[in-house]
Amino acid sequence: MKPVVVVGGGIAGIQAALDLADQGVKVYLVEKSPSIGGRMAQLDKTFPTLDCSSCILTPKMVAVDRHENIELLTYAEVKEVVGEPGNFKVKILKKPRYVDVDKCTGCGQCVMKCPVKVPNEFNLGMDMRKAIYIPFPQAVPLKATIDPEHCLYFTKGVCRVCERFCPPKAINFNQKPEEIELNVAAIIVATGFSLDDARKRGEYGYGKYPNVYTNLEFERLLSSTGPTKGEIVRRSDGRHPKKIAFIQCVCSRDELTNKYCSAICCMASTKEAILAKEHLPDVECTIFFMDVRAFGKGYQEFFERAKQEFGVRFVRARPAKIEEDPKTRNLIVYYEDTETSRFTKEEFDMVVLAVALRPILPESLVKSGLIQPDNYGFADVPEMYIEPVRASKPGIFVIGVLQSPKDIPDSVIQAGAAAMRAAIYAISG
Amino acid sequence: MSEEIRIGVYVCHCGLNIAGVVNVKEVVEYAKTLPNVVVAKDYVFMCSAPGQAMIKEDIKEHKLNRVVVAACSPAMHEPTFRGVLGDAGLNPYLFEMANIREHCSWVHPDDKEAATEKAKELVRMAVAKARLLEPLEKIKSAVRPAVLVIGGGVAGLRATLDLVERGFDVYLVEKRSVLGGNAVKLGELAYTTLTGKDVVNSLVEKIKANPKAHIFLNSEVEKVDGSIGDFRVTVTRRLGEGKEEKIELNVGAIIVAIGYDPYEPAIGEYGYKTTDKVVTLFQLMDILSEEGPTKGELLIGGIRPKSLAFILCVGSLSTTPNAKPYCSRMCCSASLKTILKIKEKYPDIDVYVFYKDMRTYGKEEDLYWKAIENEVKFIRFDEAPSVKPRDKFVEVEAFDTTIQERIAIPVDAVVLANGMVPATDTEKIRIMLKIGCGADGFLKEAHLKLRPVEALTDGIFLAGVATGPKNIIESIASGSAAAAKAATIVTKEEIEVEPLIARVNEDMCSGCGICAALCPYEAITIEVKEDGKRISKVNSMLCKGCGTCAAACPSGAMQQSGFKDNQVMAQVVATFRGE
Amino acid sequence: MAEFKPKIVVFACNWCTYAALDLAGTSRMKYPANFRVIKVMCSGRVDPQFVLEAFKQGADGVIVAGCHPGDCHYVNGNMKTLRRMTMLKKMLEEMGIEKERFRLEWISAAEATKWVQVANEMVEQVKALGPLKPRLEVKE
Repeated sequence: MKPVVVVGGGIAGIQAALDLADQGVKVYLVEKSPSIGGRMAQLDKTFPTLDCSSCILTPKMVAVDRHENIELLTYAEVKEVVGEPGNFKVKILKKPRYVDVDKCTGCGQCVMKCPVKVPNEFNLGMDMRKAIYIPFPQAVPLKATIDPEHCLYFTKGVCRVCERFCPPKAINFNQKPEEIELNVAAIIVATGFSLDDARKRGEYGYGKYPNVYTNLEFERLLSSTGPTKGEIVRRSDGRHPKKIAFIQCVCSRDELTNKYCSAICCMASTKEAILAKEHLPDVECTIFFMDVRAFGKGYQEFFERAKQEFGVRFVRARPAKIEEDPKTRNLIVYYEDTETSRFTKEEFDMVVLAVALRPILPESLVKSGLIQPDNYGFADVPEMYIEPVRASKPGIFVIGVLQSPKDIPDSVIQAGAAAMRAAIYAISG
Repeated sequence: MSEEIRIGVYVCHCGLNIAGVVNVKEVVEYAKTLPNVVVAKDYVFMCSAPGQAMIKEDIKEHKLNRVVVAACSPAMHEPTFRGVLGDAGLNPYLFEMANIREHCSWVHPDDKEAATEKAKELVRMAVAKARLLEPLEKIKSAVRPAVLVIGGGVAGLRATLDLVERGFDVYLVEKRSVLGGNAVKLGELAYTTLTGKDVVNSLVEKIKANPKAHIFLNSEVEKVDGSIGDFRVTVTRRLGEGKEEKIELNVGAIIVAIGYDPYEPAIGEYGYKTTDKVVTLFQLMDILSEEGPTKGELLIGGIRPKSLAFILCVGSLSTTPNAKPYCSRMCCSASLKTILKIKEKYPDIDVYVFYKDMRTYGKEEDLYWKAIENEVKFIRFDEAPSVKPRDKFVEVEAFDTTIQERIAIPVDAVVLANGMVPATDTEKIRIMLKIGCGADGFLKEAHLKLRPVEALTDGIFLAGVATGPKNIIESIASGSAAAAKAATIVTKEEIEVEPLIARVNEDMCSGCGICAALCPYEAITIEVKEDGKRISKVNSMLCKGCGTCAAACPSGAMQQSGFKDNQVMAQVVATFRGE
Repeated sequence: MAEFKPKIVVFACNWCTYAALDLAGTSRMKYPANFRVIKVMCSGRVDPQFVLEAFKQGADGVIVAGCHPGDCHYVNGNMKTLRRMTMLKKMLEEMGIEKERFRLEWISAAEATKWVQVANEMVEQVKALGPLKPRLEVKE
C-alpha cells in the first residue's frame, strides 16, 4: 500500500486525511501555515446549527495530530509534483520554524518576552501578534514559530530574548529549510480560499471608512478569541454599534469582479446578524441581499427564524454606494428597495461586507498541468458527473472551495469522496 | 474498592458560549467544595489541545481516578474526553460530563444567576455519579468485510462501485426492476451533452463487470438485526407470479441511499391535472429525454408550445398549503438548465420564469447569466402565482414585486418546478434501522456540519437525497463519501463497541426470568446450574444496553453498566443536596 | 414570601429526548431553568423507584420522556415505560402526589419545540400547585 498526500489543512483536508487514515492508509497532511485549522478555525459559530466552530473543529485537529497513520507537515509547501496516478513524486519544502518542535512545549514564554509586534493574520490584522508566535490558542501543533521577516535577530542581528527565556531551550536560529521527497499513490488538494479584495467595489468604502468590515473580520469580532475578546465594537471609536448593515454579493454575482455566487454568504450573514443580536440584544441588523440563497439542509428554516424570532430585517437591494459622516464615522447606505422600487438612504454605524470567495490554487500543481483552472479560476473538474472530485489529471483530487464555492457540509462530503477515490489508488499501489 | 476516589472537575468556557452566561469561576470554586474533588479548573476551550493536555497532566500529577468535564453535550465531546482519559492511562469510562451549554447557558441566557446555580447543580450531579463509576472494557466484535447498499440510484451506485473497487463485497438492493433511480429520467445535464442515463450506464457497466458486486433487483430489505460490524439482513426478492424468495446477508456496514420522490402537486395546485398544458419539471425533463414519451420532442398537451412559463418553488418554501417549508435546492438550476437546452433547440420559444428567490448558488449562477442573455424573462413573486387554463392557452397571474404590479401572462404551457420530498420508503427504513429523521422528514445525519453521511446509529451511513435535497453531482459525491465511511469499518478485522450493557450479579439473581421476558433482543437466557439454582445470563454480543431489564429486576441483580441503580440514584439525590 | 422556584427532575432517553434538549440549546430556544436532566440510554431504564426517590428528595415534579411509540431505539423499550409509568402514576396519586406533578412524554430528537412547550406547561402547573407537601403531612 502506498501513501497519499493531502495538501491543505482546513476542514476539507483534515476530513480527507482522517477518512483515509481510518481506512488504514498512510497520509501526509501538508499545511503551509504553522497550524492546521484553516478558515473554519477563524469562524465564531457555524450555520444553521449555531455550533461553536472551534468546538467541533478542534477535536478533529487533535485527532489528526494523534492519528498513527497521519504525518503532519505544517509550515510546509508542495514544490513540485511529477508522475502518474498510483505513482507521484512529490517534493515538499519544510520551512524553518527556528524552533525545535520536539522540544517546544507551547508554553508561550517566548511569545510573552518577544519585543516585536506584527499585525496578526489570524485576526486579519485587527490586533498584533509577536515575531515569535503561536497562531491561535487551539493551534495544532501547539508550537511556536519565528517569523524571520520581523524577528529582530533576523532583521538586525540583535535580541535573541526568546532563546534566553525558553525553558526547554527549543529556539534554534540555525534551522534550515528542509526538502522532503515522497512517493505517493494519489494527491488530494484542499487549499481553500481567501476573500477577494473588497476595495474592488470602491463605492462601499472598505479600507477607507474604518467602520466598514469584511464578513471574516466580523467573525473575528464575534469570537471570544478575537481581537476584542468577543465584543462587537467599532474600529473608529470602540463603541458598540446600534445599527449594523450587512451587504451581500460584494464581488460576487458581479460582472466586473466575479460572476459566480459565493454560495455561503447569505447564510453566513444571517448567522452573523443573529449572533450580533445575541451579543447586543438591542442592535438592529439589516441584510441587503439580491436573493436569499438558503439552499442547504435547514437553511430556509434558519432564515425564517432569523426574520421572525430574532427580528433580522431583510431588504432586497444591492446598495449603490456608502458615504461616511466624517463626524460620527457613521455610514450612509444608498439603495433602491426592489420590492417597493423606492430609492432611499439610511444611516448605520457599522457595515459588514459579504465578500466573494476566491480559490487559492497550488502553483506547483497548476504549473505541471495536474490541476487546470476553470473560467472563474477554480480548479476544474472535467468529469464532474461521474467523479465529482477528480481534477484534470486522474489520481489528483480537488475538494472544498478550491473547486467551487461551498459550505462546510459540502466540503466535508467532498473530502470523504476524495478519500474514497484516493484509497483505491493507495491499495493498488 | 478501598481505592481513594480522586476527582478532577474541568469547567469549559467554550469561548463565551458558556462563560458569557454562567459564572465559570463560581462553578469551579463550588466544585472544589464537593467531596472527593481534589482539583477543579476552568479553561477557555477544554476540548482544545491545551485543554486536553491540562487534564492529562492533572490525572498524573493529582493521581486522579475520576474526571468530570462540565462543557457541552456529551453527544459532542464525550468520546473526545474519554480518549483523553485513555491517553493518560485511566479507564475511559471513569468519566462523566455535565452539560452546561446545550442544557444551560444556551437556553437560559437571560438569567445568569439561575444558569450559574443550575450549572453548579449539574456539576454536583455529575460528581455524584462519577464517584460510583467503574472501569469498563469495550466489547470486541468481529467485522464482516461486506457492505449492504440500499437503493440503486446514482448515490447507491457510486458507493457500490467505490467499495467493490476497494475490494469489498457489496450487496446492492434495489426495489425496482432497474438501476438508476430518478437520474435516468433527467435527460441532458447542465454544461454537457451527457444525459442522466449516460451517467447511470457508465456506473452500472463497471459495477456489473466487478465480481464483488451482488445486485438484487425487485428486492427490499425486510429486517435488520445485529450491529456495527455484524448486521444480519433479510432481503425479500420478488420472483414474479407472486413468488418471493428470502435472502439472508451478513454485512459489516450499511449505506442507505433510498433517494427521494419528486413532489407531486395536488390536483388543481397551479392548475395541475386540470389541463394537460401544465406539467411538472420532472415530467418535462422526461419529455425532453431521448427515451421519453415523445422521443425528446418538446410536446406538451399534444402541441409544441411557443411560450412557456416556469413556476419555481412548487412544493417548496411553503408557497402553497401543501408545500414543504424547506428549499429543494436543485430546482432553480435544473429549471434554468432545461430552459437553456430548450432555447438551444427551439430559439423561438418565449420563456417566463416566476420565482421567489433565484438560488443558482456557486458556479451555477452561470446558468442565470446565460438565461438572461437568452432573454428569459424573470418575474419575482411573494404570493404564489395563479394558473388559469383558458381555451387555447393558460394564463399565469402574479403580483410582480419588482414592478409592484399584478401581471397576467398567457402562455401555451406551464412547467411546475417541483421539488423533492422524502422517498416513500423513508419511514419504513427509518424504523427498521432505528435511525432518526428531522422535522423535514429526511433522514437525520449524526452531525449536520461535520458528520453529514453518518447516521446516529454506528455502522449505518447515508448517501444522496435520503438526507435532504441535492443535485446529481452532490449525490454522487455523497455516495463516495458514505463509501469511505463504510470502508473505515470493513477494513478492520474487529471493532470495539460500547460496554454499557446489562450484567447480572449471580449471587443476587433468583432466576425469576422477568428480565428475559422483557429483553427485546433475546439477549437474556435463564440457566439452571448444577445445584438447581436458576440464574439469568446476558449474551454481551446481543445486548444493546437499553437497561429495561435492570429497571424491572425485583432483586437488583441485573444492572446496566454506566447506569447502575446506585449511579442513577446518586444523581437523583445530588439534584437536591450536596453532601 | 420568596418566589416558589419548583425543581423538576427529567429522566430523558439518550436518543430522542436528550437530543431534543440539545437541539433546543443549539437552536437557542429559551425555557425556565427549573429542570435537572438525568440521562438514561432508554426510557425503559427508568425504574419507578428513581421517580419515587426524586419525590422523596424534594422534587416538585418529575418528567419521564422518551422516543415516540414505534420509534424506540431499542425496539419497544418505551412501551414498557408506558406500562410502568401508568401504574406509577396511580400509585403516586394514592400517595397524595398530584397527578400534574408527574408526566410521561414522547419527545423525538427533532422536537425541541415540543420540549419547550412541555417545560413551560410543567413549570406553570407545578407553580400553581405549590411545593410538594412533606411526606408526613400527606400521611396525616
